[in-house]
Amino acid sequence: MSGTLALPRPGLLARLDPWPWLGTLAFALMLVFVAWPLGELALTSFIGQESGRFGFDNYAEFFASSYFRRALVNSLTVGALGTLIALVIGVPLALAYARYDFPGRGAIEVAILLSMLSPPFVGAYAWILMFGRSGWVTEFARGLGLELPPIYGTLGISLASAFGLYPLVFLVVRGGLARVERSLEEAAASLGRGRIGVTLTVTLPLVLPSLLTAALLVFLGVVSDFGTPAILGEGERFPVLATLAFSLYLSEIGAEPGMAATTCMILLAIALVLVLGVRFLSGRRSVASDAGGGGGLKRLGGAKGSAMTAAVAALVLVANMPTIVVVVSSFLEVRGVVFQPAFTLANYHNALAAMGNALWNSLVLAGVALVLITVLGAGVGYYISRRSGLLAKALDLLIMVPFVVPGTVLGIGYATVFNEPPLLLTGTFTIIAAVYVVRRLPYMTRSCAAVVYQIDRGLEDASLSLGRPPLSGFQRIVLPLMQPGIVAGAAIAWVEVFSELSASIVLYTGPTRTLPIAAYQQAATGDIGMAAAYSTMLVGIAAVGLFVFLLAARGRGERSVGWL
Amino acid sequence: MRGEAPGHLAIERVVKRFGSFTALDGVTLSAARGEVLTLLGPSGCGKTTLLRVIAGFLQPDAGAVAVGGRSLNGVPPNARNLGMVFQNYAVFPHLSVAENVAYGLRARRLPAGEIARRVEHALRRVRLSGLADRYPDALSGGQKQRVGLARAMVIEPELLLMDEPLSNLDAKLRVEMRQEIRLMQRELGITTIYVTHDQEEALAISDRIAVMEKGRILQVGSPREIYEQPAHAFVADFIGGCTWFDGVLGGGVLSLAAGPRIPCPGPAQPARLALRWEDLRLATDADPPEHCLPARVAMASYLGHRTRLRLVLEPSGAELHADLPSHDPLPPEGSVARFAFDPARARVFGADGTRLA
Repeated sequence: MSGTLALPRPGLLARLDPWPWLGTLAFALMLVFVAWPLGELALTSFIGQESGRFGFDNYAEFFASSYFRRALVNSLTVGALGTLIALVIGVPLALAYARYDFPGRGAIEVAILLSMLSPPFVGAYAWILMFGRSGWVTEFARGLGLELPPIYGTLGISLASAFGLYPLVFLVVRGGLARVERSLEEAAASLGRGRIGVTLTVTLPLVLPSLLTAALLVFLGVVSDFGTPAILGEGERFPVLATLAFSLYLSEIGAEPGMAATTCMILLAIALVLVLGVRFLSGRRSVASDAGGGGGLKRLGGAKGSAMTAAVAALVLVANMPTIVVVVSSFLEVRGVVFQPAFTLANYHNALAAMGNALWNSLVLAGVALVLITVLGAGVGYYISRRSGLLAKALDLLIMVPFVVPGTVLGIGYATVFNEPPLLLTGTFTIIAAVYVVRRLPYMTRSCAAVVYQIDRGLEDASLSLGRPPLSGFQRIVLPLMQPGIVAGAAIAWVEVFSELSASIVLYTGPTRTLPIAAYQQAATGDIGMAAAYSTMLVGIAAVGLFVFLLAARGRGERSVGWL
Repeated sequence: MRGEAPGHLAIERVVKRFGSFTALDGVTLSAARGEVLTLLGPSGCGKTTLLRVIAGFLQPDAGAVAVGGRSLNGVPPNARNLGMVFQNYAVFPHLSVAENVAYGLRARRLPAGEIARRVEHALRRVRLSGLADRYPDALSGGQKQRVGLARAMVIEPELLLMDEPLSNLDAKLRVEMRQEIRLMQRELGITTIYVTHDQEEALAISDRIAVMEKGRILQVGSPREIYEQPAHAFVADFIGGCTWFDGVLGGGVLSLAAGPRIPCPGPAQPARLALRWEDLRLATDADPPEHCLPARVAMASYLGHRTRLRLVLEPSGAELHADLPSHDPLPPEGSVARFAFDPARARVFGADGTRLA
């Protein structure tokens, strides 16, 4: 009976196990593009700028300077305040979405996710348009005889950051809530707790790890953001660590970069302490069950439903206000530094005339980076979730490092190590593409790994036993099943890469200027009309890209027949 | 009979370690062409590890595996031509039933018409003809496993490897499916290695059973041999219900602490006697006292055709079970009665677990 169905002769490809090779390649890349620049920065920070001695001279100088200390305190303050505000907005939203069904739920959710589209500095710029010295809200209040508190500094940066980052809280906490065993809440209720009591004594403690993670992500986002404090801090008047590092680096080109490196290291240290702290705190409290919470949503109808819809919609509207303001403003006439209530396309004429290659550069760089992120990230995501060796673990860790390293720090690190042979990359497109890839690769690897963990290993065994070589089986079985993770990772990576500013602002040169940089420059010091136009283009193109991804995901359907 | 044929599958002194844990401790085993050989044992005994070594998913640290005289050492799983059926079905969720079954045929580069013909035939055999275009999420567990079965059989594998294929199904379906599998296997004559921890399933489906414990094979034999002539205390204990009696062997007699004495050859040593629950019966006056045990009936559980009595020995208080036909007159709970056994059906094992008599 056997022999009639002979397998093709196993060629080299039938035996090839490509994953260790891919893992090694990725690890080598991470060593060059993550470990080396950061290591060099760390080393530089310990070489005294004045003395040239190895030691803590730079750190001593940092803490001796009241200006530097102020930057540190400012960073921590806006970080804490911004996180608090983002939690106050995001947690009730997450609770509402995890437990209740109400009219308009789906549409408002889209709006929440849309508010993630605009890069933070665009939000910051919008806040100035509204509440700045000659913002329309400020003018309007002044007309009523009210003097609003200044938006520049702590309050403005915290608010602008929080309204840009609250969707993270929403997503993470909602995910945590979905995993909470609903019967635990029912048990608490049956023991006599009211709804608020149950939430406070059972639900929130159970999602504490999610809350901590969300708070960490927001805090890191605020502290490592360059654009928002640069615009709302008015340069040197309200320094934070990210802007300080940047200006130290700029002023030091050609001189010793010791203080810039030291500032970077302090920023990095804050991030590391927080990551380890959160990991420690939530590691001991892993209480959410993987079995899934189950339990349907409670439908709110009538007056209750309308009230819920109104409350949620109002919150989301406020959060989306900055984007709306920027988009509307881009079509308004500008006189001096004030928008006029007259529609015009003049801002776009000016913007396009002054744009040079910025848009094209952005599209090409983000496109190339996205392809690399997708290919490398999907492969590595699969590798780290399927292999348990030391290499896989080290790779997983190293890839996650840029996730917590502020972009400005990474940018300065790149500028430091890649400015001489053998890797002379400064001023090239390559260096910007590289920093894009390295910064956003974690989104793809995490997103893919999460999906791969859910794919039954038996499917791959089955494919092998049926005679498919590993690579062919990966393509036919694993890849189609990974597709939701790849699409999700690519969608986030696209938006993030296309609007990347913190690292590219350090690394760009005239010919490699990108759209976010053009928008930032106009917003910080230039024409408010052109800034609005650039920002609108930025958000619009990011949104179109995202929409294409979602369409592609839907069109293929879950049951893609792949490459049959 | 079948066991006499030259081994179609030959496993020789296979060792597999995971760190300091030895999962397979020098396993030697062979299966004749066309037979169903079951690997039976508790979880962690190494049966699934052995199956995965045969399949090629694990590389043995030592020893050899050969099928049909061809050594499989170093041959990747995709070049072994072995069909495998998985406990959790492992049906590709993004492929239709027909595409699942066609998967292995495509890897063999058969012409499309031939694939369609074979798929249709295989689906008819597992009674899924109407469901060819369905996707797995629309199938029941039993149907999914039929897809898994058709998918593994359609490639006409050298060996069919089945890893607890029925344990995710409910009890009634399990019994149905194992008969179906047995019929299909006989019809196709595929040599099958079947892994299970369910002794009843093993007895029902196998030509021969290999009982495994701690990475070793304790006994290989027909279901009847395994059940009636266990070669090792573990085998006796694992398959069917046994009551154990401690005793001392010496001078050709085994003296049980509970009283009875039976003749038994062997060097002097502590020994244990195993008695199947169904081998105890109510004593009559004809039974000699040394083959009788006085016991109080602590509880009676009606199980249909049998009633299981939980007994407490008088006066030691040791517990044992007796399965008696339900239609017999049974002593009421709380009463004391004499129970007798046939010494020819008692199995005696030495301190190391080996069979003495």
